[in-house]
Amino acid sequence: MTRMPPSVGTVVDWAAGVMFRILFAASVLFLVIPIVVSVVLSFDDRQFLGPFPPTQFSLRWYRSFLDNPAYLEGLIVSLKLAVLSTLISTAAGASAAYVLSAGRWPGRDVVEMLFLSPKFVPTVVIGFSILGFASAIQVFDPFTRLIMGHVVITIPFTVRATLASLIGIKRSLMEAAISLGAPPWRAFLDVTLPLARTGIVAGGLMAFVLSFDEVAVSLFLSDPFTQTLPIVLVAEMRANLNLTVAAVSTVFAAVTVLIVFFLDRVVGLDRVIGQGLYRG
Amino acid sequence: MIVSGLEATVQQPRLSAFQWALLAPGAVLLVVLLVAPIALMAVVSFRPFIAGRVGSGAGWTVRNYTELIEPAYAFYFYDTLRIGFIVSAIALLLATPLAWQAARTKRRAMRVSILGLLIGLLFMSLVARLYAIQMTWGSNGPLAFFGTLIGIPARSAGYAAIQVAIGLLHFVVPMAAIILIGTFQNINPKLEEAAASLGAPRWRVALTITLPLAVPGLLSAFMISFAMCISNFVVPLILGRGIVLFTTNLMYVRFSDVANFPSGAAIGIIMFALAGFVVYALAGFVRWLAPAEARP
Repeated sequence: MTRMPPSVGTVVDWAAGVMFRILFAASVLFLVIPIVVSVVLSFDDRQFLGPFPPTQFSLRWYRSFLDNPAYLEGLIVSLKLAVLSTLISTAAGASAAYVLSAGRWPGRDVVEMLFLSPKFVPTVVIGFSILGFASAIQVFDPFTRLIMGHVVITIPFTVRATLASLIGIKRSLMEAAISLGAPPWRAFLDVTLPLARTGIVAGGLMAFVLSFDEVAVSLFLSDPFTQTLPIVLVAEMRANLNLTVAAVSTVFAAVTVLIVFFLDRVVGLDRVIGQGLYRG
Repeated sequence: MIVSGLEATVQQPRLSAFQWALLAPGAVLLVVLLVAPIALMAVVSFRPFIAGRVGSGAGWTVRNYTELIEPAYAFYFYDTLRIGFIVSAIALLLATPLAWQAARTKRRAMRVSILGLLIGLLFMSLVARLYAIQMTWGSNGPLAFFGTLIGIPARSAGYAAIQVAIGLLHFVVPMAAIILIGTFQNINPKLEEAAASLGAPRWRVALTITLPLAVPGLLSAFMISFAMCISNFVVPLILGRGIVLFTTNLMYVRFSDVANFPSGAAIGIIMFALAGFVVYALAGFVRWLAPAEARP
């Protein structure tokens, strides 16, 4: 058998394949390297910010995190804020999503737009406008203002996630319950709510994470005595470069890994993204 | 809002009292906490600013808007849009191979790893990621040599823009990739197989079959990245070193440093309009590229 010289097509194919692999590796590395660097640096034993990699390791930055009351106070404010605003926006968003999924009624599109629109309004605009509005209606308590802002930014996520899970639920199940004599609220509680649970939980999770990490809205609505953890971290990052923030970031990264693992177990990552039309 | 063209089969003329009760709390919250504040902000944006006084003066003026056309301010808008545009373009380039691999690989471990990475990044604190980027790409970091490589040393002022771009990329690439996974998954692989079996080399299949089908998804990913970039606040705040400021940061400075509420409100209204325009244009674009009957 004679060997065929490679055609132009195969050479271009080969080059394109190599390019694709290089680009793929570059983007994975681009996304992963910074996180690895900061995790490694968080165990650095040096007191100053030395060149990478560190030579001696210790847990000093984790101790300094636990010793600094500003971080812990920020953490408590952030957790309280995230839990409360998640509860409010999940309750309001999930029940609205249920009505939005119930067929078409006049004005439905406008209401849907209202519920999803905070996602498209820049967060600074939300923070700034709520600050002006709060002082106009004489609300000066920072925690109340923070709740106001965080509920607005998280609602679209709870609505979206619940809507997505409700689309899969057959209306006939609900109608069957009603035709068997259940009042609508009973059918809602016993049939729809349990079936939409994954969507509601996923939306609540997103709302929690979003609220916990929010900077722009919180910067406008907090005051020097009520600060969230991200605000404390940003202030620390801009003021001095010590590695305590690296320790906090590492804790965040670890929690994220747990969340992803949990999400994969409970919902399945494939379902979060969706299989599309032609897979599987 | 991309409203689906499919009409629901059930036409429900009116909502029941129970449905109203479910809808009302959220609707009231949003009218009070979103619509009313933005309306108030629109009013304030036409009020004159009186130096040394918190709040705004009486009477009406358009000065808060006209002063933004002055070069000193217009530059912030230009810088924001320019960096946002470049970052969104690079984000497509980096997100495409990730999304393609996740959508088309036959190896389950590969798919789950990519999905896990992307979803994990979405869930991981952006503040923590930006700190990690500062540690990695900053003047002391292991990747700082990159600046020297492209002629903008990490210690120079010009590097601030590079750092902001890197931060924004880290923020938008996972989102763009997740959008593109959906796009690629919905392109029928049989079309490519058919073209290949007729003897077309793979690069021609990619250019003539796959790319045209992916255009609406690529455009969505681009526009959403762009909208996310220009409305971002934290990335320039942390990585901009005070040299690169976006309009969002300008708005904050107007409020925190000079307490000029009317000017901040005017910037806010422009940003609100800009964000609305990008989303509206996106929905229009997608509808124009993919007519109703072609959509799944």
